[in-house]
Amino acid sequence: MGNLNLDDSVMTTRLDSVVNWARKNSLWPLPFGTACCAIEFMSMMASRYDFSRFGAEALRFSPRQSDMLLVLGTITNKQAPVLRQIYAQMAEPKWVVAVGVCASSGGMYRTYATLQGIDRVVPVDVYVPGCPPRPETMIYGVMELQKKITRETLMARKEHIERFYESLARQEERQRAQGLSSHQAVREMVLEAGAAGGQQIW
Amino acid sequence: MLTERIDAQLPGAVLDRHAFRGDETVVVAADRFLEVVDFIFAEGFQLLVDVTAVDLEAREPRFDVVYHFLNLVSQARLRIKLPMAEGAAAPSLVSRFKSADWAEREVYDLFGIPFAGHPCLTRLLMWEDFPGHPLRKDFPLDGGDPFCSQDIGASYAPEARTLNP
Amino acid sequence: MSPSTPQPLSPFIPIMLLFLIAVGVAAAILVVSGKILPGLLKPANPKAAKLTPYECGAPPLQEGARHRYSVKFYLVAMLFILFDVEAAFLLPWAVQYRAHLWTFWAMASFLATLLVGYVYAWGKGALDWER
Repeated sequence: MGNLNLDDSVMTTRLDSVVNWARKNSLWPLPFGTACCAIEFMSMMASRYDFSRFGAEALRFSPRQSDMLLVLGTITNKQAPVLRQIYAQMAEPKWVVAVGVCASSGGMYRTYATLQGIDRVVPVDVYVPGCPPRPETMIYGVMELQKKITRETLMARKEHIERFYESLARQEERQRAQGLSSHQAVREMVLEAGAAGGQQIW
Repeated sequence: MLTERIDAQLPGAVLDRHAFRGDETVVVAADRFLEVVDFIFAEGFQLLVDVTAVDLEAREPRFDVVYHFLNLVSQARLRIKLPMAEGAAAPSLVSRFKSADWAEREVYDLFGIPFAGHPCLTRLLMWEDFPGHPLRKDFPLDGGDPFCSQDIGASYAPEARTLNP
Repeated sequence: MSPSTPQPLSPFIPIMLLFLIAVGVAAAILVVSGKILPGLLKPANPKAAKLTPYECGAPPLQEGARHRYSVKFYLVAMLFILFDVEAAFLLPWAVQYRAHLWTFWAMASFLATLLVGYVYAWGKGALDWER
């Protein structure tokens, strides 16, 4: 009979690779557009730059039906707990891309009203700098996210997201204990983390 | 001139006036303010363009509440300033001008000047339990966030952030 | 057409078998791809915060979607059921109302009973949508 050579017809792989391949090629974005970066996002979705080649044509404005949160624009301190709630309501697996300098670090707004980077309140995977970034830059950012997804294990993503839910529990505990609104509780957590050197609250 | 007519109709209401290139400004005492507003409303100044305030730290009284009116017929503009001490309540114009509603809420939020007679005087831009009033001169630009004030270059020295060093 | 000699069942058995196999394969595909594979692969991590109702990130304005509504909706539904059942009884009667002389009057008495109820509902204002 000879040797049964299956090399051409059977491919072996790890579960992580298969699942990550499926996930990275079907990232459905939730455009959390608050400012000018959202306009560049619109142009990225349009035909010239065509974001749908990356499997991302299905834009879902609901957190339950999307898996990539694109934060496009300035996030104020009043908006920060809203962003946390939206991220909490997304189904797993989920990734966050901070698009533009306002989302990455507060941008040109170093004031009392602007959150100095969304990584202070939600876990961010990729930062795309620019004011606003060109559509090619944003596409490059999503491609970097795809490379990151290829590298990570399923368990690591789970644990990464778990840390956020612990910080959400701490925030709710603080609200209950001191009778604060969500804005004030998040603001206090951000200020305490800032006093320690700009760290995250998640 | 409009200010002469106000003087003639309501003597003693106008504390000060100045004009610059056709823009008239009058400074009115807070207790005569509503009469002045009713008078200029009858004169045709029926659009309240904006309500804002100025915090002059060193001066007594501390705040100047500034009103801008527009005469839709003659296209003349008038600015009225109300000197208010800290804690004093300004009279609310909500019953006369709908545009005063949110403008007065904004002044209350950012300066802490209450308006007597406003139907719903709550914060507008910041959240309800925000501590402090951001546009006062003694409120730090970074809101007390040390991360904001980390030195990122010589041109952003902390002293450069205040107008009155 | 009068019933003729009974047809043999045997030529239809393969078709029935094909139908059952098709349904079975479809069901198997659905179960495997909908229940078994996701059961193995999906990240099942229910959290209280994740299950809160979506209100654009803001805290919910009220608890749940249960609030009071006007009784007129209930009245319309109930009256509809009653008169719809009456119409349902009319349909088989209409096919053979000529069978006997008294068939017409039997249905007429039934309708008269319901007519009394209709006039009562009308008079009481149950048909007024806006009060």
